[in-house]
Amino acid sequence: MYRLWYYLRETVLSIWRNLSLTMAAILTVAVSLALVGASMMIREGAERATAQFQEGVEFIVFMNPDANADQNAAIRHVLDSSPSIEGYNYIDKAAAYDEFETLFADKPELVESVTPDVMPPSYRIVPTDRSAANVNELANQFAAQPGVREVATATEAIRQIDDFSTRVSQALLIAAVVLVGVSALLILNTVFTAIGARKQEIEVMKLVGASNWFIRIPFMLEGTIHGLIGAAMAIPVLFVVDNEVMAFFQESDSVPLFRGFAVPEGFVWDTSIWLLILGGAVGMVGSAVAVTRYLDV
Amino acid sequence: MIRLEGVSKVYKGDVTALREVSVEIQRGEFVFLVGPSGSGKSTFLRLLNREEVADAGQLMVAGKDIGALRSWKVPYLRREIGYVFQDYKLLSRKTVYENVAFGLEVIGRPRSVVRKQVPFILELVGLTPKAERFPGELSGGEQQRVSIARAFVNRPLILLADEPTGNLDPATSVGIMRLLDRINRSGTTVVMATHDRGIVDTMRRRVIELDRGVVVRDESRGVYE
Repeated sequence: MYRLWYYLRETVLSIWRNLSLTMAAILTVAVSLALVGASMMIREGAERATAQFQEGVEFIVFMNPDANADQNAAIRHVLDSSPSIEGYNYIDKAAAYDEFETLFADKPELVESVTPDVMPPSYRIVPTDRSAANVNELANQFAAQPGVREVATATEAIRQIDDFSTRVSQALLIAAVVLVGVSALLILNTVFTAIGARKQEIEVMKLVGASNWFIRIPFMLEGTIHGLIGAAMAIPVLFVVDNEVMAFFQESDSVPLFRGFAVPEGFVWDTSIWLLILGGAVGMVGSAVAVTRYLDV
Repeated sequence: MIRLEGVSKVYKGDVTALREVSVEIQRGEFVFLVGPSGSGKSTFLRLLNREEVADAGQLMVAGKDIGALRSWKVPYLRREIGYVFQDYKLLSRKTVYENVAFGLEVIGRPRSVVRKQVPFILELVGLTPKAERFPGELSGGEQQRVSIARAFVNRPLILLADEPTGNLDPATSVGIMRLLDRINRSGTTVVMATHDRGIVDTMRRRVIELDRGVVVRDESRGVYE
């Protein structure tokens, strides 16, 4: 207990003496981990957005919300009679709204902002021949029908979303990896400076027989705390990404598929835990390197 | 307590600090290490503390073979050895009390031991009234007393002192020597490197003289010469 108190006191004192460098290290960790988290969320969002294309559904015909019964009947007639259609599933306004409600259960304000009558009803269609060429041809046929707002093919839509999410999340990830490296170096330097500031004390400690770990632990703790505080600061950013950035795509009318661009409830918290683990690890590694290279114990 | 057999130490650039030194020091002895600067006195002490590692020969300290000692065990060896320097090596940001307590805290002694031992040792070195002062507010002799208190607070078997009176005037030095003598009489083996002729000649203890890394004299009740 006494020893734990000693470690904490030494660590806090050391951080306080070296505040500006410590702040720089913590902020770098925060920025890099925020990028890591954002990248994870975009990836997850994309996976969820393409989830409607399941059980053989290759393309979706979105109707205009105000499409009339005749227009719907015409589409249905084609679907029922065409030999190239194996089956389909009609998602009416109410069902679309239900789905929307489930998808955004954790965002009541978003759900409140829409009503069933603005939801585009849609047909999720399973073709007999699933080759890309055939799907595209069918999609074009349906796109030309009156009352059809848009046809999203699995191939094209998924490729688009995949493309988008891969690019964005990879760019973020590369930036994040570089910054994580920078943060590790900054933590290393901060701990190195802390070691320098306590050179005399360390000398006396060795002289009177303090064990090597006893000397090392406060410094390693210091680095780990940098990492953890940085991670903690990155967590609110995840919520901003979730509530602002991803919500922006969800609310956009231009690409209906982006409606599903969301992460499940709890994902942000899971990601937060990963960031804390990652931040702690980066801090520990950075300080461990500093301790082994400069402490000579 | 301390046994050196054919111990040699060569520094980089072929500087021989010690050449085949064989010495045995019994428990409870008081030994002066004398000799000109560069004769190997400090190296002798640093080898005992495992701050340096011998290049040849065997070194036993407090029953341990120092040459074969694993590096993680070195701290435990040092807990048996108090070390006092010419320049005291006190921590200027800590009070007298904290400096002495530091010697116990960092080897994980419980708070109850620290609270009991530190006042006791401060009383022994005569610094109880100055416990809350900082090293910068003390005279050289007082600072050396703090340093001795820190070295002795853990009751080591051996006390090594490297020119402990080197920065002090003769009158103050006598006080320091009385303190070291008292510590020695409590059963602690004391090995002290010194240039102080007056002290060596007055105390008449064992004298080991080094010259260019070789033991040239070893007398049981010697003088500085």
